[in-house]
Parts: sequence; structure tokens; C-alpha cells
Amino acid sequence: MSDQSRYLRAIAGAMVLFVLLVGGGLLYAASGGGSRDILVTQMLINTIIVLGLQLFIGNTGILSFGHTAFGTFAGYSVAVLTMPVSRKMAQIPDAPFGVAGVHLHPLVATGVGILVALLVGVLVGLALTRSGAKSGAVAATIITLALLFVVHEVSLNWTDLTDGGGGLGFIPRLRGRFWIYLVLALSLVGTRLFSEIRVGRWNKAAREDDIAAGAVGINLVPPQTIALLASVVIIAVGASLRVQSLGSMTPVFFYFDYTLLTLAMLIVGGRKGVTGAVLGVVVITVGNEFTRYLAGGDVNVPGLGWLLRPNLSLLFLGGAMLLFMLMRPEGIIPSGEIDQLAGRFRPRIADDPPPTVPAIEPTEQRVPDGPALVVHDVGVQFGGFRALAGVDMTARPGEIVGLIGPNGAGKTTLLNIITGVVEPTTGSIRLGDRDLTDLPPHEIARAGLARTFQNLRLFGGLPVRENVAVAAMAGERYRGDRPRIDVDVLVAMAGLWNQRHRPAADLDYGSQRRLELARAAAMSPTLLLLDEPTSGMSDEESAVMIGHVRDTASRLRAGVIVIDHDLHFITNVCDRIYVLDHGRIIAEGTPAEIQRNPKVIEAYLGTRAVS
Amino acid sequence: MTDIIQQLIDGLGRGSGYALLALGLAIIFGVMHLVNFAHGEVITVSAYVSYWLAIHGTSWWLIALAALVTSTLAAVVIEFVAFRRVRGAEDFTMLLTSFGVAIVVRAGFSMWVSTKPRQFDKPGWIFNTVRVFGISLEIYDLIVIGVTAVTLAAVAYLLRRTMFGVALRAAAEDFDAARLMGIRANRVISGAFALSGLLAGVAAVMILMRRGQAEPGMGLDILLPGVLAAVIGGLGSLSGAVLGGFALGLAEVMVRAWILPEGLTGLTDGVVFALIAVLFIFRPEGFIRVGHAERV
Repeated sequence: MSDQSRYLRAIAGAMVLFVLLVGGGLLYAASGGGSRDILVTQMLINTIIVLGLQLFIGNTGILSFGHTAFGTFAGYSVAVLTMPVSRKMAQIPDAPFGVAGVHLHPLVATGVGILVALLVGVLVGLALTRSGAKSGAVAATIITLALLFVVHEVSLNWTDLTDGGGGLGFIPRLRGRFWIYLVLALSLVGTRLFSEIRVGRWNKAAREDDIAAGAVGINLVPPQTIALLASVVIIAVGASLRVQSLGSMTPVFFYFDYTLLTLAMLIVGGRKGVTGAVLGVVVITVGNEFTRYLAGGDVNVPGLGWLLRPNLSLLFLGGAMLLFMLMRPEGIIPSGEIDQLAGRFRPRIADDPPPTVPAIEPTEQRVPDGPALVVHDVGVQFGGFRALAGVDMTARPGEIVGLIGPNGAGKTTLLNIITGVVEPTTGSIRLGDRDLTDLPPHEIARAGLARTFQNLRLFGGLPVRENVAVAAMAGERYRGDRPRIDVDVLVAMAGLWNQRHRPAADLDYGSQRRLELARAAAMSPTLLLLDEPTSGMSDEESAVMIGHVRDTASRLRAGVIVIDHDLHFITNVCDRIYVLDHGRIIAEGTPAEIQRNPKVIEAYLGTRAVS
Repeated sequence: MTDIIQQLIDGLGRGSGYALLALGLAIIFGVMHLVNFAHGEVITVSAYVSYWLAIHGTSWWLIALAALVTSTLAAVVIEFVAFRRVRGAEDFTMLLTSFGVAIVVRAGFSMWVSTKPRQFDKPGWIFNTVRVFGISLEIYDLIVIGVTAVTLAAVAYLLRRTMFGVALRAAAEDFDAARLMGIRANRVISGAFALSGLLAGVAAVMILMRRGQAEPGMGLDILLPGVLAAVIGGLGSLSGAVLGGFALGLAEVMVRAWILPEGLTGLTDGVVFALIAVLFIFRPEGFIRVGHAERV
């Protein structure tokens, strides 16, 4: 499907959600009095905030408790700037920055609120993405929780500006729901589109596997920062609406209870999609109101008196979150969007035919090009263990180089060093005249080295085709001058056309290996580095894989470095072979030379076989 | 000079509680990669038990003992009821599970006791001051620092010299390898939770002696500096957690005493948080880097 039709479908889906949500709300409000009207208004505003949460949490996979704290910044900005000056002179005459004498239009005040929240967002974002990108998402989560508590502390204690716990009132009220509808519609379209554009898709790839994302040239920091700032904007606008609809602002408006409420909505509905988030808002709103009603004292159920007590809704929110984590951690709608529903019920027969794989040019026209990879004197030490020492290795353009050796010889470690995952203790790695030694993995991938992983690192939750498409976007952006294979052709070549909409994690082992090769090829690399591409495959599958590797490499005019145990596979596919044993290169040569080399025979079969 | 020493002791006193909580969190993080947001609820439960004992006229020594036992048991029970089911799940799931447990405990006390704080008598003598070399010190601070030092030494001994300690450290290093060596997962994890609960219990006694109150939402409030300390120190590093705890305590005291003007001391937490954010920008892995044994 073209990008344009993807976007159009996403917008249509967002509009359907808008109509369902607003329509349902209006119907409910029409059936009862003014309190229902207020409830619906609050639900619509909560939806905006939850969409802001979804954009960040859902796409990056980083749990944040602190996003509502950005609402505090925007909320106080709007409150302080829109209150009548006379009220401010009475309540907060000493407010800093001379804001006591300023009175702004709500739109301008909201704009200021967005800027203030963004400013904090940039500082927090720096800390967040740095720790999130490096050591898993846990440290990032704690930063956000601290933000929530600290912002509450500060808003309680900075009485010159906030007048403390009692809060600020007399904020001009919103009339009607025009602005709420407008912001809601824009947020729905915006969050829904975000997951379809490049930044969103890269975030989702990094969410599924950050190391694999780096290996296809994705630098995590810019996408995560953009997601954070976009979500801050949505939450700031939502907070502005909330404050204006309530007419007041206090330190607890965007504190713990509200964080719990909005997080429960997102988590229960399904954090990975906009549809799930919206459903969660409805489910939790209904549940929350119902438990309040039950605990309100008007209901009398014999034998349940002990349960129907005040604060039952807190138990409901915490219990719902806990039970979903234990039973269904991905929420009611684990993946997918409302606009993708139609495709699910489409009969299989109507499937599009696979694209025709273009015929490969005759060998003499395929001039391999690109720089040579030169590994010089590389060594690495893990604690007291010397895993590699003095390794020299060259891969010339278009060459297929094999790397063999017994278990624990250091083959994968060498590959990890070349691709920047592990830092070498000594030595250098050059690609042509470019020094790759100290570059991070995503820079090395962009320079033209694409790899697969021994232990398989696919973007498991993403569809098969998307695994390849995400890498192809990076290939197009950073390696546009190299020969390219179309995404659909790559999927078809890997024999995965009929499974292209399934999550990659559902594929069988051999298919996952072929998908990894397809993903690496989508980067338009100069050199493919394959870590045991046939491990776990049957002999037949291995034979197919040999042809597949040769074919892919020659279409890309790329060289290959391939690690394998399987001597048969290696000797069939390689032009030249290096043999690694105990962290050192013990032999190098053509397959025929290697098969005759006594050192190799010794390393592989033991000394007795030689004598 | 005496001013500096007084601030230093104040900072160490504050840091002691943080360090004990952070150490407990780091132990749990080591065996199951979970940042346990329900760790503070162990203190909440102890606080209510202490409250109940105190209003029935129990002596403080018995209350302290009961708080230690309660914390330890509560930690083990929470692991058994909730965390055992999400072992090995995504970080996201485990984090929210612990958060959910924290909310459910808070809801329970709100519903069946009260949302209002429950007060009980504090041991009055601990707030007397003694003069040492011209510096007046609260007995409370001396007790806290002394007890923490003894506790940390005991934990260090336990981890280095006992079979359980070695098993725990091995499990923290590489859980799967430890299992292959015959270490029993359930036993090590239950033990880790018991130890972390006991450490939280020591912190609980210190906190309760000072505050003399129980409140449904106290757990997360108390826990937050502990979690921050664990992250500052380098998540998963035991010595880092202790270091982080004391560093945070000292930072708070110094910011309030020397950086902020008189009227703005309420903003201490805000300034400390900004400092932590800056620390993370320059050193995202915290003080002590823990080599993640993730295989690529």
C-alpha cells in the first residue's frame, strides 16, 4: 500500500473514532441531566491527555508516570495568565516575572503553556532518551516518576506563583465544546498518523528491539525525543482545556490520582494503538463512575457492605491495572487499529499475487563495487578473559568471506566488534578510508554494514513486511546511492509473501532467519554480515539459503562475511575463508586450501585425526 | 566548621534510610530485573501494624521488632501473590504490576481504615540532643547512622560469606547460569524479597520513630528517594545503591543549606531533581556501571 493511502486510511480511522466517541457521549448526555454533561466533557478532555500518553508510551515502549506533570506546567501557565488582574493582585501579588499584571487571551496563554511545558520537556527528554536508549527503559521510568513528585512539591511550595495547595480560581470558563472537539479531532488524527510516519515506525521498531534498530541504522535519540515533545504538546493543550473547563487549578489536578486514572485508561484499553487507548478511556470512565456510584451509599447489596465503601474506585483502578498485567498485559486491544479491521475479515483468496522477482543481470555485468573492510590487529578482553587477540581480516568488494571456528572461538564477538556493539580493547576497523572503530552501531549500519543475529533479533511484534520496510526507510535515507531491492520483492524472495501481515514473532525458525537476511538486505549495504544464517535449518533449507545469500549479495553488489559451523555450507558459498580458534586467526585461504590445512583439521577434529 | 559537620551528619542520617531502601530495590532488581514500586508498601503495612500495637500500649522495642517481622513477611507475600506470575515478563509489565500492587494496598487501607493519617506516640527521648566536641547532635541521628552501619555490614557479610549470599549474587550476575548450577530460583527469589523486606523494615522503624503516623499513600512517597538513589548509583549495583542513597541525602541537605535562599527551601526537591537530570545526561548508567550480560 502506498504511503498516501496509508495516511488517508489512518485519518479515516481517526474520524470514525471521533464520531463514535463524541456521538456516544452526546447520546449519554442527552439521556440525563447536567452532571452527565460535565462527565462527558471531562471524558473527552481525558481522551486528549490519554492520546498524548499513547503517543509516547505506546510508540517508544517507555513507561512514563510523569507526563501528566507537563499538564501542571501548562495548567499553571494558563491559570496565571488568564486570571483577572484584580484577582491576582489579591492572591498572588508577588508573582515572579511580573505576571500578576498580565492578562492574556486563552489561546495565547495556551501557547505560552505549551512553550513552558516544551522547555521542561527538552531537559527531561535529554535525560530520558539518554538513559532510555542506553540501559533499557527502567531508569527513564524512574526519572518520570520523580518528575511527577517534584513538580507537585514545587507547585505546593512556590506560593508566590501558585498560592500553594488551595490553588488558583476565577479562570475564565470555556463556553461550549467547540475547542474540545477541535483539539480532540486533531489529537486523534495526529496520534493515529504518528504511528504511520517514519518517526513513529522507527520508534516502534526500537520499542521491539533497540539493538536490532541500531543495526538497521536507526539512532534512537531523535525519534524518542520527537515522540516526547509531540506528546508534551498534546498534553499541554489538553491540560489547558481541563483547567479552563473546571475554572481552577491546584497542585493535585495533574498529580497522582490523575496519572493513575489516565494510565489505567491507556493500559487497560491497549497502549500500542489509538483505538485501544480510546476504548480504554470509555471502559475506565464507565467503571470508575460505576464504582463511585456503588460506593456512594445509595446502593445496598446484602453481604457486600464491606466492599461498597468510599475509595472503591481507587481499588478498581489499581485492581484493573494489576489484573490486566497478570492476565492480559497488552490490554483489551493488543495491536491493530479500527481502520485495519476491514483487512482482517477479507477472504484469503482475494490476496494480491506476489510481485515478480526481476531477473538477475548476467554475471559479467555485475561489477561489485564499494570500499573494502579492513580489520587490523583487533583484540578484546572481558575481565580476565582474552576473547580475541591480534585479528587481521579483509573483505574485498563483492567477496564472500567465511569465518569458521569451534564454539567459543570468538566469531560472534568479532562480528559484534565490527558492527560497533562491542568496543575493542585494541585495533582498528576501516571501511575504505573511513575509520569505523569508535562509531556507534547505527553509524556503522549507515556506512554500509548490515548484519543478522545468531540469536535472532526481529521486531517481533511488528508485521513481517514492516520488519523489512523499517530497514528500507533507513536504507533509502542513508544509502540512496546504492542498488536497492524493493521491499515487496525482498519479502517474496524470502518466501514470506503470504505471511507478510503476520507478526514476525509468529514465524517458524527458518522463516525468521530468512526475514533477518531480507531486513539486512533492505539497508542496501556494501557488506552483509551473517551470523550463522543456516543454524537450526534442515539440509534442504540450508541449500536454498546458499542460493539465496549469493543471489541477494549479487543484486546488491555487496560483499558478505558469513559465520557458520557448517563446513559444507561455508565451502560451498565462500570465496575465501578465515579460521578462528581461541581468539586468533589460525588459517586463511580458499575453501580447498582450508580443507587441507592441518591446523584446521586439528582445531575441528582433534589431534588424533591428524596422526 | 561545626556547621559543616552538622550538615554532614544530617545528610548521612537522611541518606541512611534512602540507602537501605535502595539496597533492597537493587537486590530485587538483580534477581528479577524488576524495579519494585510496591517496595514502599511494605513500610505502609508495618506502619499500620505499629499503629495498632502502639495504641494498645506496646513498648517501642516490641513495636520495632514487629515492624521488622511484618516488613519481611509482607515482601515475601507480595512476591508470592503477584510477582511470581510475571517473572521473566517484559520490564513494562513488571513495573506496572508492582505499581498496581502499590495502588491496591493503598486502596485497601483507604477503604478499611481511613484516608486520614493515624497518629501514635513517638519515643520522646530520641529527640534529645547530646553535645560532642561542641556539636549538638540529635540522638535520633546517631541511632540511625549507627543502625544503618551495622545493618550494611551485616548484609555485606551475608552476601560474601554465606551460601545464600553467594547464590544471590550469582543469580544477580546471570540468573540462567545460576539455575544450571543447581541454585533454586524460587528459593533465591523469595530470599531476596525477604532480605529486601527486612532492610525496608529497618528503614520503617527509623521513619516511624520520627513520624509516628500511618497513612495509606505513604509508601510511594517514602520509596521515591530510594528508587532514585538506586538509579543514581547504577541500577542493579548493590554498592552503587548504598552510595546513591548517601549521595542523595547529602545533596538534599547541601542544596537546602547552601544553595537556596531562606524563603525558597521548599524548592529543594526541585533543585535536586534538576541535578539528577543533569547527572543522567552526562552519565546515563549512574555512578557504577553494571555490565548487562545481554547476549547479542
